[in-house]
Amino acid sequence: MIKVSVNGEIKTLEENLNVTQMIEALEYKVKGFAVAVNTTFVPIAKYNDTIIQEGDTIDILAPVQGG
Amino acid sequence: MSEELRVKRETWEIGGKTLSSRLLIGSALYPSPANMEDAIKISGSQIVTVSLRRQAAGGNDGAGGNQFWDIIKSMGIEVLPNTAGSHSAKEAITTAQMAREVFGTNWVKLEVIGDQYNLQPDPFETVKAAEVLIKEGFEVFPYTTDDLVVAKRLADVGCKILMPWGSMIGSGKGLMNPDNLIAIRKQFPDLQLVVDAGIGKPSHATQAMELGYDGVLLNSAIALAQDPVMMADAFRVAVEAGRLGYKAGTMKEREFASPSTPTIGTPFWHQFD
Repeated sequence: MIKVSVNGEIKTLEENLNVTQMIEALEYKVKGFAVAVNTTFVPIAKYNDTIIQEGDTIDILAPVQGG
Repeated sequence: MSEELRVKRETWEIGGKTLSSRLLIGSALYPSPANMEDAIKISGSQIVTVSLRRQAAGGNDGAGGNQFWDIIKSMGIEVLPNTAGSHSAKEAITTAQMAREVFGTNWVKLEVIGDQYNLQPDPFETVKAAEVLIKEGFEVFPYTTDDLVVAKRLADVGCKILMPWGSMIGSGKGLMNPDNLIAIRKQFPDLQLVVDAGIGKPSHATQAMELGYDGVLLNSAIALAQDPVMMADAFRVAVEAGRLGYKAGTMKEREFASPSTPTIGTPFWHQFD
């Protein structure tokens, strides 16, 4: 198991998950979000090739009001 | 009033889109989502700013829903995602890339904050981010100060739109330095210029438009009004009035009084007085 930060919260995940598998593991239901790992954008096309590592900082962002 | 005398309302182009409204409106701080929707509708605005934030796995309602985004999508208007909260070029670039995927637009309101007290944009990081984003195919709407040299640097890296502040974000103080805004307008007659931030009253928006600015972007002035929907209507009229006033050409100021009523035939005038 590895520990990562997801939206500022420490989460424990299985090793060697890619982004698609991580989202499933987190039971992320929100539609229309984008993912960054360690402040680098991960496009949908790269979800399956991006493996989550111990200590990664993951941001999952969705639309909100803005000025 | 003769309708045939009314000036035909012009369209304008920004970011590759042809629009009729010159009011860009924010979507935050409204008393309710329904109030936001009504205010945006009555404002006539065709561009609404949106943002991205961390959200819990269940979304707004625990089931993955996002009422806000559903409303905005249903309105059929252009969205302008911002990079609010970014403090470096890197953060802003990543946020812009994420926004392009989520919102399906290459438009980005580039905000890189340099000071937490007055939310003044960081000019160095803003220029750096703008250069990268333009190379990546973004249409960058950079939030900047009214500094002419920063405006030049942003234009140098390819910005076709500049959004100098009127005053600090959310302050409602209006145009702090109209002369600086005029200098930017004169220097860049071919760029689209939008006053962004600091507008508090409809008259501030009118003033910006009278300076020859192409549009104004505001949020708090409408959303924090006692009646946001009525204020949105007021801003619609104010922006239109300012644009027409600019197009009509204002009179030159004079340093002396000059009567408007004819002096010839003034009654009760006595030759021997």
